[in-house]
Amino acid sequence: MDKRQRLQEASSLDLRYLDPEEVRVWRGEDDRVYCTVADELTVLTPMFIRSHPLSDLNRYLSIRGVEHKKRSIAMGREFGLLRNWHRLGPESRELVEVELERRYLHPKVRAILSVKDYSGVQVCIFETDRGIREVTLRDVRDNVIYLGRSRILITDAEGNRYDIEDSARLDPESQSRLARIL
Amino acid sequence: MAECLSIPEDVRHAVDSVTPGADIRILAFSDLSPDGAFGEQFLALADERILIFDCNGQVPELRTNLPLSRISRVEIETLVGGAALRAIIDGHRVDLMSFSHAMSDTFGRVRIQLDALIEGKPLPQVEERIKRCPTCGLVLGEYTRVCPRCLQKGATLRRILGYTKPYRGRLFLIGSLVLAGTAAGLVPPLLQRWLADRVLVPRANYHLLIWLVLGLALSNIVHTSMEIWRNRVTAWLGARISFDIRAQLYERLQWLSMRYYDHHPTGTIISRLSQDSGGIQELLAFALPFVVTNIITIFAVGMVLVALDWKLALISMVPAPFLILISRRLWFLLRRAWHNYWYRWRRFHGLVSDALGRVKVTKAFSQQQSEIGRYFYRNDDLRSAAAFADQTSGTYFPFMWLVVGSGSLLVYYFGGLFQMQGGLTIGDIWAFLAYLHMVQFPLNFLGQSVQWVSRALTAAERVFEVLDAESDSEKARGEIVLENIKGEIEYRDVGFGYEKHQQVLKDISFKVKPGQMLGLVGKSGAGKSTIINLLCRFYDSDEGEIFVDGVPLREVSLWSYRGKLGVVLQEPFLFSGSITENIAYGKPDATPEEIMAAAKIANAHDFIIGKPDGYDEQVGERGNRLSGGEKQRVCIARAILHDPAILILDEATASVDLETEQQIQEAIARLIKGRTTFAIAHRLSTLRNAHKLIVLDEGRIVESGTHDELKMKKGVYAKLLDIHRRTSMIGAVNG
Repeated sequence: MDKRQRLQEASSLDLRYLDPEEVRVWRGEDDRVYCTVADELTVLTPMFIRSHPLSDLNRYLSIRGVEHKKRSIAMGREFGLLRNWHRLGPESRELVEVELERRYLHPKVRAILSVKDYSGVQVCIFETDRGIREVTLRDVRDNVIYLGRSRILITDAEGNRYDIEDSARLDPESQSRLARIL
Repeated sequence: MAECLSIPEDVRHAVDSVTPGADIRILAFSDLSPDGAFGEQFLALADERILIFDCNGQVPELRTNLPLSRISRVEIETLVGGAALRAIIDGHRVDLMSFSHAMSDTFGRVRIQLDALIEGKPLPQVEERIKRCPTCGLVLGEYTRVCPRCLQKGATLRRILGYTKPYRGRLFLIGSLVLAGTAAGLVPPLLQRWLADRVLVPRANYHLLIWLVLGLALSNIVHTSMEIWRNRVTAWLGARISFDIRAQLYERLQWLSMRYYDHHPTGTIISRLSQDSGGIQELLAFALPFVVTNIITIFAVGMVLVALDWKLALISMVPAPFLILISRRLWFLLRRAWHNYWYRWRRFHGLVSDALGRVKVTKAFSQQQSEIGRYFYRNDDLRSAAAFADQTSGTYFPFMWLVVGSGSLLVYYFGGLFQMQGGLTIGDIWAFLAYLHMVQFPLNFLGQSVQWVSRALTAAERVFEVLDAESDSEKARGEIVLENIKGEIEYRDVGFGYEKHQQVLKDISFKVKPGQMLGLVGKSGAGKSTIINLLCRFYDSDEGEIFVDGVPLREVSLWSYRGKLGVVLQEPFLFSGSITENIAYGKPDATPEEIMAAAKIANAHDFIIGKPDGYDEQVGERGNRLSGGEKQRVCIARAILHDPAILILDEATASVDLETEQQIQEAIARLIKGRTTFAIAHRLSTLRNAHKLIVLDEGRIVESGTHDELKMKKGVYAKLLDIHRRTSMIGAVNG
């Protein structure tokens, strides 16, 4: 069975775990990103998808192609999984990081600066790792996910999600405001 | 369109710096910076160029300057938590800008507009869903335009009070009872004053003592009677007005256009009908009378206190502002503690019902220990919330009464001082204390009632939003009444989209003669059901015209037309009641013989007779006591009895076994005889006898003809037949 066949076969039935050393992500002369997998296949503008975007950001990164639809693009087939993408070479790691940063708009809340209540609608100001944001919360208790004892994901009225990684480590004022929200 | 855009000055300057004086035809702001942080960028289309500026510095900085002519199309890539607008240039994808979910509608509009311009079409006007309050910018709830921050409470209240007009007499009675009750409530402290000064202190006037005690009893009885009477009348009025509003709301819901239902999930509508209309009742029966009565009491007591001794009155009122502030804060803490407890209780309940519902799976996987662990965690969560709520309540009320009691301490001290100086009597002080006691409760709870009224007014506004929505009845006025519909249907260049910017049907033209059967074929989402929806006139076409017997459908009276339509749907819908009632739904005056005749033709008679209660058998909620095939045949019997000129069969045999399908097919064959029939079916074999088949793909007619003609043509229909044949074989193997 040649390499290409093996790759094809693997993508249809088994998960294929890639050695970080056999994956190279690089920017071509045309300024587009390419990903070469085990010198077998080069993917143009690959997609890097986290398998466990909430519980483990770095493990099991899926490398995929792109499927072109009439009006949009969708996730294409998987070429393999990286157990830990941080083990990629420096250039590859940097490009993957940029792509992940672009794909995952997942602000982490560092502090809750204010909360105002208008007949069941709460307008809060969150300080996040992506900057300060005014957030409107409605029926907040139906839009909260508790992960473990102290991690909280809050979805706002516009469908954006905010991650409080450890509510116990927020400053006391933020904790008191969080208690008001929840 | 360009003239309609309101262009901020800094945007104008920025664009002018690149293309001076050019019209800005498209403008959209993103809420993310180019580096993905929260910030601002904007995209402007000016002089046939896409200009993108980064606004995170002092002055907008040009980041992209792209001629529209270089772009073959634009697309949106959905990311996690947001999306990106991309342009396709020479087959390459170029990121234009990213945005969060908050801006997805805006950039959906931009994509449509840019694509239209790229294709050389005029700039389309695309309506964006209003997601933020136009006045204050607060994000609105889904499916509502009511902004709780900007709600004009006065106007809403006036509108609610408008419903009291038919009951003016009772309203007047309530007003009189409030005044009389308050006045009666003011009497006892005055009598107590006389009791102290003229009986207790001088230790004399036995007869006066009798009269004063009788007076106290009488005033208490009058006060309590007024209160009971007022409560009863108010409760009656609240319930009556709520009944009127619910009736009006339900009537409105029956006539609301299908577009309204497309944009409002059933759960939301039910909530308007139950919770929100309940909010109005709460407002009228409890909140408003509570507020009005307490305000009147505070004013009346205040005046009496000033009349007794204005200096002591002022002193005794010193703690009032603090009392209101402290009470608000403590109420807030208390409410939060209890909300928290209820929420934990709901989660706990959810866990238990979930766990007990899958007890077999838990045992099968030996997961009892992990279930116990999960339960323990949630139970502990509930325990701590319950303890906190009870402890907060246990602290709040004693503390509150301590604060409330501070007014009395001032009266004791200063009243005692004034008494020693000879300005006040013991009776005066006693009366003062009694009056103070009367206002302590209103002062304590009035702060809370503002929020109470606010919430009820917001609920009322959501009800009014439904009452003000567009309804079918408005479309149905003053139109042509077709007495005898022959059933000739023509679609002429029909175009339609549920959302104005997303066309579902394009250039649809065909003609069906009276009594003919038309089969609609195509993949899911091809537009089959939309053709039916337009025929039912649930929607009006955006382009072209549909004719019934040569008359444009939009000019035909909806009542006369829908009376001649019969529908058998994939999901047969029965309502709770007997089989007879369900069959006679479209013809309530049908005789038992007519009903049985219809059931016989629908192959339903035999199974109905076999039921213990025959035609009187109760079908249960949504007909859940009947099998799928039985329900379907009852629906066919209903359609036969209704005797429609135009019949719609929407996947009528999709969810039944082969034997039942055969019985239904027989029934349908009898039903369609002599009626113009539109049929949708996944099992293409069921359309074999159609006079004409129309094959749809992405909203367009791609093939039309008879079954044999299309089979010979070896096009889309032949391919679908082949897929159908192979799927049937797989089904047979698995079967």
